[in-house]
Amino acid sequence: MSIKNLDKVLKRVQKATRYSGGELNSVIKNPEDVKIRYAFAFPDTYEVGMSHLGMKILYHILNLRPDTYCERTFAPWIDMEEEMRKEGIPLFTNETHTPVKEFDFLGITLQYEMCYSNVLNMLSLAGIPLLSSERGEDDPFVNGGGPCSYNSEPLADFFDFFTMGEGEEVIGELMDAYIEWKESGGKRIDYLKRIAKIEGIYVPSLYDVTYNGDGTIKSMTPNCPEAKPKIKKRIIEDLDKVIYPDKLIVPFCDIVHDRANIEVFRGCIRGCRFCQAGMIYRPVREKSPDTLLNDACNLINSTGYEEMGLSSLSTSDYTELETLTDKLLNLTEKEKVSLSLPSLRVDNFSLDLMQRVQKVRKSGLTFAPEAGSQRMRDVINKNVSEEDLVNSATLAFEGGWNSVKLYFMIGLPYEEMEDIAGIARLAEKVVECYYNSEKTNKRRAVNVTLSVASFVPKPFTPFQWAPQDTMETLAEKQLFLKGEVRNRHIKYNYHQNDISVLEGVFARGDRKLGKVLLRAHSLGCKLDGWNECFNLELWKQAFSDCGIDMAFYTRERSYDEILPWDIVDIGVSTQFMKNENEKAKKAATTPNCREKCSGCGAAALCKTKKGCVCFE
Amino acid sequence: MNNYYLTYERTEKTKYVSHLDFVRMFGRAMRRAHLPIAFSEGFNPHPLLGFALPLSVGYTSECEILEITLTEPLPLKEIMGRLNEVLPQGVKITAVSEGKSRMKALDYALYIVRAENLPESVEEFLSKESILIEKKTKSGIKETDIRPDIKSINVMQDRMEMVLRAGSRANLKPEVVINAMNKYIKGYESGDCEYHRKKIFDAQMSEIN
Repeated sequence: MSIKNLDKVLKRVQKATRYSGGELNSVIKNPEDVKIRYAFAFPDTYEVGMSHLGMKILYHILNLRPDTYCERTFAPWIDMEEEMRKEGIPLFTNETHTPVKEFDFLGITLQYEMCYSNVLNMLSLAGIPLLSSERGEDDPFVNGGGPCSYNSEPLADFFDFFTMGEGEEVIGELMDAYIEWKESGGKRIDYLKRIAKIEGIYVPSLYDVTYNGDGTIKSMTPNCPEAKPKIKKRIIEDLDKVIYPDKLIVPFCDIVHDRANIEVFRGCIRGCRFCQAGMIYRPVREKSPDTLLNDACNLINSTGYEEMGLSSLSTSDYTELETLTDKLLNLTEKEKVSLSLPSLRVDNFSLDLMQRVQKVRKSGLTFAPEAGSQRMRDVINKNVSEEDLVNSATLAFEGGWNSVKLYFMIGLPYEEMEDIAGIARLAEKVVECYYNSEKTNKRRAVNVTLSVASFVPKPFTPFQWAPQDTMETLAEKQLFLKGEVRNRHIKYNYHQNDISVLEGVFARGDRKLGKVLLRAHSLGCKLDGWNECFNLELWKQAFSDCGIDMAFYTRERSYDEILPWDIVDIGVSTQFMKNENEKAKKAATTPNCREKCSGCGAAALCKTKKGCVCFE
Repeated sequence: MNNYYLTYERTEKTKYVSHLDFVRMFGRAMRRAHLPIAFSEGFNPHPLLGFALPLSVGYTSECEILEITLTEPLPLKEIMGRLNEVLPQGVKITAVSEGKSRMKALDYALYIVRAENLPESVEEFLSKESILIEKKTKSGIKETDIRPDIKSINVMQDRMEMVLRAGSRANLKPEVVINAMNKYIKGYESGDCEYHRKKIFDAQMSEIN
């Protein structure tokens, strides 16, 4: 079972605890005692993967089953991969160092498009055939989940099936079906047909896709009776009843988010038109403060973490935030644990809360106005005003902060150059807030950092039909903004725009991109989320070798075109998306879910109604 | 304040944990054990922990010493029991004592080195007046003489035992000695090695535990 030469290799690589296992709270079982071995893969480095909450939840839930042993595996860093390939070590799990190929399942969570090359690289390292069609009876079932699986078409050739929606709702059914199938002595295809009948499961090989002459999709139809014509996402209806880990693995090495996180709610009331998470996780479902306090207490006791985080898409929108933070602070102050709040909204920023929460450590503050002009903020339905930002920044400065970070996007639909100049003007106003206030310390200089990302149109958003700016246009816009930033208190950070375009291609891609991924993999593309590894030239070559034009995928779509993700039903209607896009064109806003229901359709997903915003 | 000295071992399962990561890990274990930990003053309070001698990545040990400070006295057995209950596999407290620290007296350490190949003899190697090795420093590569920091090396049937200077005054790692052996003993190639710290001593070679 253990891998020959592993110890030798671990001595030679950096941060070997990323591979060696044995972390506190990692699960130890005897593989002989279980019926199912499930390898859960995060297709990026350990530091990124171990910061992901979803993996921890599913790991915990799978391991609660006495018949199942779930172990973890991650994309090895370059030095480790080199050693593994040299020594003939296949991809293995951290817990028992078992080759992934020996498992019954390889579950891969797909959090962002730029991990796709890692998916192929990990399959290749594991010695599992890359193409689902080439896998044999002894190979593991390769299962995808997470937000990118909502448009999994570019990956359709490499996965046996995908799970749409919240994994903890459906994973048990998949495991039960596996045991029944195994006992029935069926073939590989029989299991796939069996689970195709389960709500939320997409088996791409059971669908045929035909194309029009211009490359757009003509039809996408099931090729067997088991496959559903439409895949409906699964959700947890009552978050107070869902199992939340009472233990989290505590890594030895430093990871991106090294703290105990509790999940406050799922979904987001806001309906920003660029945001995929805000649509696919609908409707908003909250946990009660008592449940959260119990989760927090368990985690503090079982991990010893010195920091606790609240996790959600927009924590300041939690209805009982004050009650919750009061209760949590009583606990954390006693235990000398610091509480951290992520993503603040500009319009309901509470200084009092920030000061209480950050009693120990005064870190930087971040606000996300997303766009520079009011018109553009209305286009994207951000629903915050300049006044909101000025008030929040003034409050923060008067509370002793002298540094804020502002998040923006460029390349948004219906954008004009004056909207981009607006980003610089808004930042200048924030600087003024500091100097206009009588209560700030003028001996310290104020710092405003602009972090500007390039917009990527995503499936299941009102902007899913929108064109994406080319690399050249984005570069022009970045340069223009650079020229507009003339204040020495403002620092302008921008991201590579080439990676955004590639991300956009795969986000709205179809099955034809499978061969590009294969080619890119053979050219050596991997770890694309890392600047030191990303190589645009290789990707360009992969596209041109396959005769595929990126522009086909970044173009504007018409409302009648069949989109690759039309086969999936997230519970939010296409009509709602169209209405929102039409409103965007007129810069008309839509109230948030709590102000007024806009009838998106997600209410029908939540029959229990408890804790759900649709039934408040 | 109540100071205690913990002797602990680190085995295979934690041998790749770096010293800094180990310090953080131990702080978290103290929290999980709900020991009445004394925290440092200042902006970012952290548990008061004093380590005798960092352990290099990849090494195992049975003689690690750590000083902890508690805000109230506790029976030694209880400290040991509560910590061992919450420590990850691969770290185990083997003794707890209180009183005056001998940590500062630390001067030598005994290492067991298991190499793929053992040298036939180290006599000639040790008879050298100086053993120069290249050491990377911030200002470039510097030549250093490690001979004064080697107290003894015994080649046994299946291992080597090295007593080397250790601590804040002078510290020599056995892997550096192995590198020097590869360089200076004719025809010798150690291959991969395993390192284990067995004992620590003061200047008079009396064991600290």
